[in-house]
Amino acid sequence: MEKKIAVYICTGCGIGDALDIEQLGKIATDENSIPICQKHSNLCGQEGVDLIKKDITDNGVNTIVITACSHRVMYDAFNFDNCIVDRVNVREQVVWCQKPGEEDTQMMAEDYLRMGIAKVKAMQLPEPFKPEEEISRDILVVGGGLTGMTSALEASKAGYSVVLVEKEAELGGFQKNVKEIATAPYKDIQDNDIKNLIDAVTNNTKIKVYTGATVERTSGSPGIFKTVIKQNGSNAEHRVGAIVLAAGWKPYDPTKLNKRLGFGESPNVITNVMFEESYKEGRITRPSDGKDVANIAFLQCAGSRDPKHLPYCSAVCCITALKQAIRVKRQNADANVYMVYKELRTPGQSEDIYRKAQEEGVIFIRCQDPEVKTGEGLTVEANDELLGETVIMEDLDMVVLATGMVPVSAFGKDITQETKEEGEKKDGEELEVPLDVIRRSNLLNLEYRQGPELPALSNDFPDSHFICFPYESRRTGIYPAGCVRRPMGISTATGDATGAVMKAIQCIELTARGAAVHPRAGDMTYPEFNMSRCTQCKRCTVECPFGAINEDEKANPLPQPTRCRRCGVCMGACPERIISFKNYSVPMIGDMIKSIGVPEEDEEKPRILVLACENDAYPALDMAGLHRMQYNAWVRVIPLRCLGSMNLVWIADTLSKGIDGVLLLGCKHGDDYQCHFIKGSELASIRLSKVSETLNRLALESERVRFETVSITDYDRLPALLDEFAAAIDEVGPNPFKGW
Amino acid sequence: MSIKVDPNLMKDLRHFGLKDADKCMHCGNCTAVCPLSTEDNPFPRKLIKYAHMGLADKILKSPEPWLCYYCGDCSDNCPRGAEPGEAMMAMRRYLTSKYDWTGFARKFYTSETFEIIAVAIVAIFVGLALMLFHAGSPNMEHAHLNSVWPASAIEIADLIMAAILTFLLLSNTYRCARFQMGDLLFKIPLGIYIRQAKELVIHFLTQKRFSECTDKMQWLVHLLIMTGYSTVFLLVAVFLAGGLEVIGLAWEPIAFQRDVIYPIYHPMRLLGYYATFAIFYGTTYAMIGRIRKKKAPYKNSHGTDWMFLILLQLTTLTGILIHFTRLLDWPMPTYTLYVIHLMVAVPMLVLEVPFAKWAHLAFRPVTIFLIKVREAYQKEMQTFA
Repeated sequence: MEKKIAVYICTGCGIGDALDIEQLGKIATDENSIPICQKHSNLCGQEGVDLIKKDITDNGVNTIVITACSHRVMYDAFNFDNCIVDRVNVREQVVWCQKPGEEDTQMMAEDYLRMGIAKVKAMQLPEPFKPEEEISRDILVVGGGLTGMTSALEASKAGYSVVLVEKEAELGGFQKNVKEIATAPYKDIQDNDIKNLIDAVTNNTKIKVYTGATVERTSGSPGIFKTVIKQNGSNAEHRVGAIVLAAGWKPYDPTKLNKRLGFGESPNVITNVMFEESYKEGRITRPSDGKDVANIAFLQCAGSRDPKHLPYCSAVCCITALKQAIRVKRQNADANVYMVYKELRTPGQSEDIYRKAQEEGVIFIRCQDPEVKTGEGLTVEANDELLGETVIMEDLDMVVLATGMVPVSAFGKDITQETKEEGEKKDGEELEVPLDVIRRSNLLNLEYRQGPELPALSNDFPDSHFICFPYESRRTGIYPAGCVRRPMGISTATGDATGAVMKAIQCIELTARGAAVHPRAGDMTYPEFNMSRCTQCKRCTVECPFGAINEDEKANPLPQPTRCRRCGVCMGACPERIISFKNYSVPMIGDMIKSIGVPEEDEEKPRILVLACENDAYPALDMAGLHRMQYNAWVRVIPLRCLGSMNLVWIADTLSKGIDGVLLLGCKHGDDYQCHFIKGSELASIRLSKVSETLNRLALESERVRFETVSITDYDRLPALLDEFAAAIDEVGPNPFKGW
Repeated sequence: MSIKVDPNLMKDLRHFGLKDADKCMHCGNCTAVCPLSTEDNPFPRKLIKYAHMGLADKILKSPEPWLCYYCGDCSDNCPRGAEPGEAMMAMRRYLTSKYDWTGFARKFYTSETFEIIAVAIVAIFVGLALMLFHAGSPNMEHAHLNSVWPASAIEIADLIMAAILTFLLLSNTYRCARFQMGDLLFKIPLGIYIRQAKELVIHFLTQKRFSECTDKMQWLVHLLIMTGYSTVFLLVAVFLAGGLEVIGLAWEPIAFQRDVIYPIYHPMRLLGYYATFAIFYGTTYAMIGRIRKKKAPYKNSHGTDWMFLILLQLTTLTGILIHFTRLLDWPMPTYTLYVIHLMVAVPMLVLEVPFAKWAHLAFRPVTIFLIKVREAYQKEMQTFA
């Protein structure tokens, strides 16, 4: 495509008052010989947009630089089909955060325009990725419990066909053994109507059910998954577009519990799950002799919220215990029902079931460490914190221990341990990238280079950031839901099932269009590999947070574009710089850096390059402008898709150009990461640990490069942070490469 | 020491008016807002915990129920509607029944039928006694009560009744002190009791702790009823015969309820007016409050609460009517009303003072007194050590 560039400068929102627009226009017309440079006082209005559209139709303009507000706003107004568009942000990040009419402010705006022009020169129009095979719109649901069945029904209601795989002989999961439930609106215990759900799924023609079956193999990628289902020794093959993993949970093994809780010492000490089994039969009776229960104690948090067992809260045990306690009271109103708890957790409306239990006369005892004594008669001793004294509950017929939920993904060997055992030593030169925990839990059996199952986030749950990205996993197109994602009750699981199916449908539809899924939903670009220069170093395959790159026997990367989230981590990782996107590449950012004007040393105008994550740090900078907070005039900001896409060569480019410092603004990493691409900022900081080599080669001080984590809410501390870094750079002195 | 849980106490407390305490989730807001709760004697949450766990012994040892005047702040601030104030009230009723060694109080509190029958029996007994025993020649021309029932005879009956009631009330009060103090009751030297005795008097007369509650109106109403009642009590018990005539201590000019009509500024008449106004205003306020149920302390009414107010107000009303019939010099209506007046007043005294609501006039100041005594004793022990 022959590029015909045009520059448009908006003078509204205070831009025209703070800048010399004529002078700014000369950057386009004189410096870059761009013939079309138009100014308008309200570019985002109909008149302004029509002005641009007229140039597109009349003058054949196809590459547009809009010098106005941030790309985070007005994107719908500045949307031109088949045109390369870049937005030069002189509003939020120049005139709203700098002193109007000053030389430094003008220089900043001019630099941004230079960078924008350099950027569009390097950009190309994206061409959506179309896999060779036809996109399948079917959804595979793994697990036929409440969540799985709800997912299947919801998908079928939305018009999608479903393949449902259940490993047990019947549908229903754990819930088929539960007679009564306590769920929304939690006013009282209710009959379980799982039977109706099973019937609805069985009778639904859009749902193909496999019971007594497992997923033998899953290959391919979103839109073009191939799955082999094994049932009764025979294999069935299905092509699906996306997968919902609703494989459920297992109760925590009570034999592992602390001996103080008495499990195994008496047949009358049982778990909450065993209680459900027995009360399915009808009356609640003492396991040892079948006598009706008259004295019963429920001990909460048996092994839960305990770093030695399950460090987390399973969210349902309290509500379940309340239900069971009410059931005992209904059977015998005179029964003594004790509930020993650490903290009773009945969030939201479920508080009502606690009220119900209070009404029924259940006695609540707050105690962190109760002890079960099984000698003569069953006794529980508990130090009541509200009383400050030890309470003894004697002659108990039954003690029910509330054991927590363990996701089925927690079973099986961790593959990172396997490779260690095999003694596969890493190349000393290679960067030590922390590996995800992936267990051989026999759920999906993915044919992915990085392991056969979903990676765990914490405590073996294959979750993602639970607030920002619910139902997301680190494998595109595979959405965990229900208790495999995190412990939850019926009402949450039902919502989870629906949410995960919604994600699966979005994935299928976006993939069919050749677009990326969340968080870069709709992005039409994808990474392209210049394979002739690949050195088979494996960095891209190892570092991709989403397992989007397989490899062949010769360690050549085999990108699977529909698995890709377009973060550019591979682009940042590649030492040969062979990976690029149509509108995002190593040379493109390099050109932008090189276009920045660097004043001579004696002008005493240092320059600082800020590489900012466009998900949190860049919007935070916009917000600082929005709040009219002034900050340092030496900074020049380049947004990155993710800090993980930062290639070290850019730092070399920057410093060798004479720019005095580089500030990297990324997201918080670690257990409670905020990175949209999970590991991007962590990878960037690991790569940066290697930057001292580059600096040494250039004989530069390591203080010139700094990494900071900021979240969007940190906007108020950004000006101080920038000023402080500028002062530190001033201290170090000017870059000796200036003017080279 | 370990504790055994007894789920039956909650059921028992229900008979004494406990209704919503099972809703308590022990957040402690009630204790936090209570202006009277202290670090040493925190309430009401602690007491509700005792009730939940069935720790009757601990409740019996607790002075806290008597430290509460039921201003209702706790109930107003309870996020669960557990009515902690009412729970404290129920515990006071429960404790009254526990202090009473005759077992009569328990029956009186736990059965409304028993309560009504007991009042009726005493009333009928008083009515019959007044009709059977009177002077042979009543004055039918002028309203002269003493001509029907001579002051000295009434006084003797009065003193006999007072002796019985005092014995019952004091023995119950002793049990109250014994439960709260245990062996300490005798270990503490008498001197400390004597030195702290002023507290007993001050708290009895002013109820100054109640004035620390947020709602001052409750304190005022309570003070009106208490002082009005005490005044009448004094007038009847002491000044009926112009003093204690039986022991020779009497002065006719200040005798109460004489056939002579005192001038309007006479202290006996003024005291009578004050008492009438105070009780009438106080009981009317309380009754209207209990009907409207807007204030927390009036939201839940036990049978004994109504009985108490009705008897007190009827006594006052009949008293007012007698006053007018005497002024109008109508003999027969005066005599009839007097019989009715005593048929109401006597059951109120006989039943309420030792066994029911009136007993708190002893238990409450004694409890505060004992707390002061204990504090003084502990302080002394500390300085000693």
